[in-house]
Amino acid sequence: MAEAWKGPLQKVNDWRWLIPRSYKKGMLTDGMIYASEKMISAIRKDQAPEQIANVACLPGIVGKSLAMPDIHWGYGFPIGGVAATQEKGGVISPGGVGFDINCGVRVIKTNLTEEEVKPHLEKLLTLLFTNIPSGVGSEGKLSFSIPELEKVMEKGARYIISRGFGFSEDEENIEERGAMEGANPEAVSAKARERGKDQLGSLGSGNHFLELEVVEQVFRPDLAEAFGLFPGQVIIMVHTGSRGLGHQVCTDYLQEMQKAMSRYDISVPDRQLACAPCDSPEGRGYFEAMACSANFAWANRQLITHWVREVFEQVFQKSAPALGMFILYDVAHNIAKWEEHEVEGKKMKLCVHRKGATRAFSAGHLALSPRYREVGQPVLIPGDMGTGSYILVGTELAMKETFGSTCHGAGRVMSRSEADRRSKGRDIAGELKERGVLVRAESKATLREEIPEAYKDVGEVVEVVERAGISKKVVYARPLGVIKG
Amino acid sequence: MDKFEILDHTADVGLVAWGKSKEELFANAALGMFSLICDTEEVDGGFTTQVEVEGSDYEDLLVTWLNELLYLFEAEEVVLKQFTIQELGQYYLKAQVEGEPLDSQKHHIKRVVKACTYYEVRVEEVEPQLWRAQVYFDI
Repeated sequence: MAEAWKGPLQKVNDWRWLIPRSYKKGMLTDGMIYASEKMISAIRKDQAPEQIANVACLPGIVGKSLAMPDIHWGYGFPIGGVAATQEKGGVISPGGVGFDINCGVRVIKTNLTEEEVKPHLEKLLTLLFTNIPSGVGSEGKLSFSIPELEKVMEKGARYIISRGFGFSEDEENIEERGAMEGANPEAVSAKARERGKDQLGSLGSGNHFLELEVVEQVFRPDLAEAFGLFPGQVIIMVHTGSRGLGHQVCTDYLQEMQKAMSRYDISVPDRQLACAPCDSPEGRGYFEAMACSANFAWANRQLITHWVREVFEQVFQKSAPALGMFILYDVAHNIAKWEEHEVEGKKMKLCVHRKGATRAFSAGHLALSPRYREVGQPVLIPGDMGTGSYILVGTELAMKETFGSTCHGAGRVMSRSEADRRSKGRDIAGELKERGVLVRAESKATLREEIPEAYKDVGEVVEVVERAGISKKVVYARPLGVIKG
Repeated sequence: MDKFEILDHTADVGLVAWGKSKEELFANAALGMFSLICDTEEVDGGFTTQVEVEGSDYEDLLVTWLNELLYLFEAEEVVLKQFTIQELGQYYLKAQVEGEPLDSQKHHIKRVVKACTYYEVRVEEVEPQLWRAQVYFDI
């Protein structure tokens, strides 16, 4: 197993732990972990805190090197890491986004209750499983030409909606309205296109899933109402990303930046943190290609949404609008973005890297659609397979402390091989069924690697961000059925 | 000497490979990676191609080599098991790789390997005629 981390952690208060910049040569700022005392002992078990300290060495970092309570050991950045760099003199790092660019979550609402859905659950899951491609190397049902793929990379979900796969109001409820600015398909290699082109409209495998859930607990009725959520309501959560396109874009630019670093006289403590100045050709190229991948991911979740709506229409013999199948929101949790934030009283344009962290803008932010500008952005936090999810809202304190960011999920606590050992001979689908969750999975091996005990308790993670004040709980939703790749 | 072993990592998977030469080391690392993806015993022949990659040092070359094979797996839809390193310098690798077009009935795919990372990557000659490499994959 991994070596435990022995560096200094200073308790700031019950929910904040500081790694002082004096810990390690090269750190330009402090590290800060949002966690409970109980979590900290688990966090110390591997090298995730060292990775926070490494991120603090990135040239042009502004504010602290941050880690959300779902932090776990990654490569380069820890999963759950947030770091902002300045426009001049700052760097952009593909390792600060990760391979699955714009891996993210979307929630589709319905006006159906658990009682109405339960009798049809088996059928719904079977149809969803057949209609939404999933699994390793899964390919979409539609074939996109190269010019169409370029439009997807430039215009994301908006292009897919314009092709008839969605409602015109869908885009208002997607981060960046489903298409990030600055996307330039010319920055995307032929290899990345080749890897991505057949995968548009597919779930993929690993921790990706599609889940039917029921709103079980409402923490803030006024906000739940503003979000269009009510107890007993069935919602659908989609968790997937940019598939092979994003993986290849990250691979391509990591390699390019290995070479570029010496030219810019940059050295980093971990090669996976390879980076280039934001305003260099390599830095700009990466941003343009990353934005293309992010747009691909929003298009991917849009196509899946369309097929989810079709399945519900078929089963309930009503139109999707009549079933209230509108998008609550769609968030990215692996991304770098240009955002304006106030730092020590001064407005600054910053490149905010979120790797396994979710944007959580507060009420009043101009990036939000009018619908959410009054109440704040919905933040979608999936639990692991079968343990349910939370919907939170962004806060003013997150804007001040975390560049408007919060946690993204449960976070692994167990290696895949350990999960494999512990699940040997067990019927995971059967165990979940006993807990009231039906599962359809492409691969039994994935199910075993993704057993619930391999993850932190998402409830504890969410409790920390609530207590620390960087987001507020709105509802908890319990799973009814899940589709895994 | 084992060809390779799997390392535990909380979120991802690591691999240590061994070889009597650096050529054997690079071939064993590739075999180790495909053993994470599928049961390589199930893979027969029928597909052959040449692979050439460049890198700034052995570590970069190893990561780039493994990522190139992942690209072949996903874009060409082939599973690979035989790796013959024909040329290997500090900045350049040329190899012939063999395997079989992916057949979902025959090959049981265990998991997707998204990419080979540079995190803690090592290539070293630990003693005369014993090379060791270490890499972590994003799963």
